[in-house]
Amino acid sequence: MTDLPALDIDELRRVMEEYADRGWTDGLPVMPVTESYLAEFLARTTRPPDEVLLAMPHLERECTVRTAAINAAMAGCRPEYFPVVVAAWSALKAEGYVPRAIWQSTTGTAAMLLVNGPIRERIGLNSKGNVFGSGFRANATIGRAVRLTAINAFGLHPHELDQATQGNPAKYTACIAENEEESPWPPFHVEHGLDAQCSAVTAMTMRSVAHIEARHTTVPEQLALDIAGTISRTGALIHETISACIALGPEHAHLFRSRGWSKDDVRRFVYEHAVNSREALAAVGKDAVSGKTRWRLSGAHPDAVPDTAAERGETDVKVLNSEQAVQIVVVGAHNAGVSAVIETFGPRGGPPAIAPIESP
Amino acid sequence: MLERAGVPAVSICTDAFVLLARAMAGVYGLPDFDFVTIPHPIASLGPAEIETNMREVVSDVVRILTGRP
Repeated sequence: MTDLPALDIDELRRVMEEYADRGWTDGLPVMPVTESYLAEFLARTTRPPDEVLLAMPHLERECTVRTAAINAAMAGCRPEYFPVVVAAWSALKAEGYVPRAIWQSTTGTAAMLLVNGPIRERIGLNSKGNVFGSGFRANATIGRAVRLTAINAFGLHPHELDQATQGNPAKYTACIAENEEESPWPPFHVEHGLDAQCSAVTAMTMRSVAHIEARHTTVPEQLALDIAGTISRTGALIHETISACIALGPEHAHLFRSRGWSKDDVRRFVYEHAVNSREALAAVGKDAVSGKTRWRLSGAHPDAVPDTAAERGETDVKVLNSEQAVQIVVVGAHNAGVSAVIETFGPRGGPPAIAPIESP
Repeated sequence: MLERAGVPAVSICTDAFVLLARAMAGVYGLPDFDFVTIPHPIASLGPAEIETNMREVVSDVVRILTGRP
């Protein structure tokens, strides 16, 4: 212990308690920020400090480069992580739900960030074992930087402007990186048109991460049906359809690839098989949609109108509105037949929200 | 928003959202903004139960709209 740096514990405690008393926290201790420390973050981007990264017009509040940097520092980011945080805000803006108040909703969503490209290695972002878990400063603090900004810049405190019924664990932090090195397919950002040498952040509005155990099979159809069954659970349905990101473990990705399946083959199969029967939907009272909101409800409800599948005369009701409503990324260790479904908010169907990261 | 546009309006929320309503009123600089509360929940109620709830607050709606106690 003698080689640890000396510090004034009273002063440290005084500063930390001050931040906590002001409500500038997610509940965990935050790093104090001074002007000189802040300047190190601002030096990592070409964007001016006053530039607005994302606005919430209904709250008349906005996040600037400066406020994003303050919260990144408070979250425990190193200055070299800051370009990832800036790109994350660009991706969240493009994704579209955050400016429309989704983080205040009872649903209880949070951002799930996905990082691709060479910056993963440079700043030590984990893409392998325990990718959704703890232990890696870059993952932990980049995700936390976004959440602290939500609390400190937009004022989204729980029980007040944040009305999440239960929330989800990503409300502390959620930032993963793709395991490009152990993926049999091109990286996610390359699939969507960016150069492999470019680094990028993809933003998703996440509701939950559902775990899939499939260590038993080498048959791609069996694995794909297990995934489709996870995506189609009726509890996920609030709108007529849902969207999802399949987070394949490398072992599952290689299983598909070894049988000649491309990402698009997986996507197409899951789209076609992520279905519920009309009877299964009726059993939970979600067999129709509201003519006003298109939210699912019982066919007996006075606002009920037939859903799209019923209009088309289809007996199997798809939970995805198109193949593009499901994205695929490869994350985690190459050590077991384990994958996950990141359940995202909204029906979607368009391209994912990807923002390039500025080079250092 | 409606009132800023010159349209008299009354906000109605369920009692689960009172803290949010007060917080939003504060954001807009109207900490004393008056609104009507009804019992939570409403999403799972039928038309008759909704009507019963609304009958109980009609006088409050009128009071806020007219400014008369």
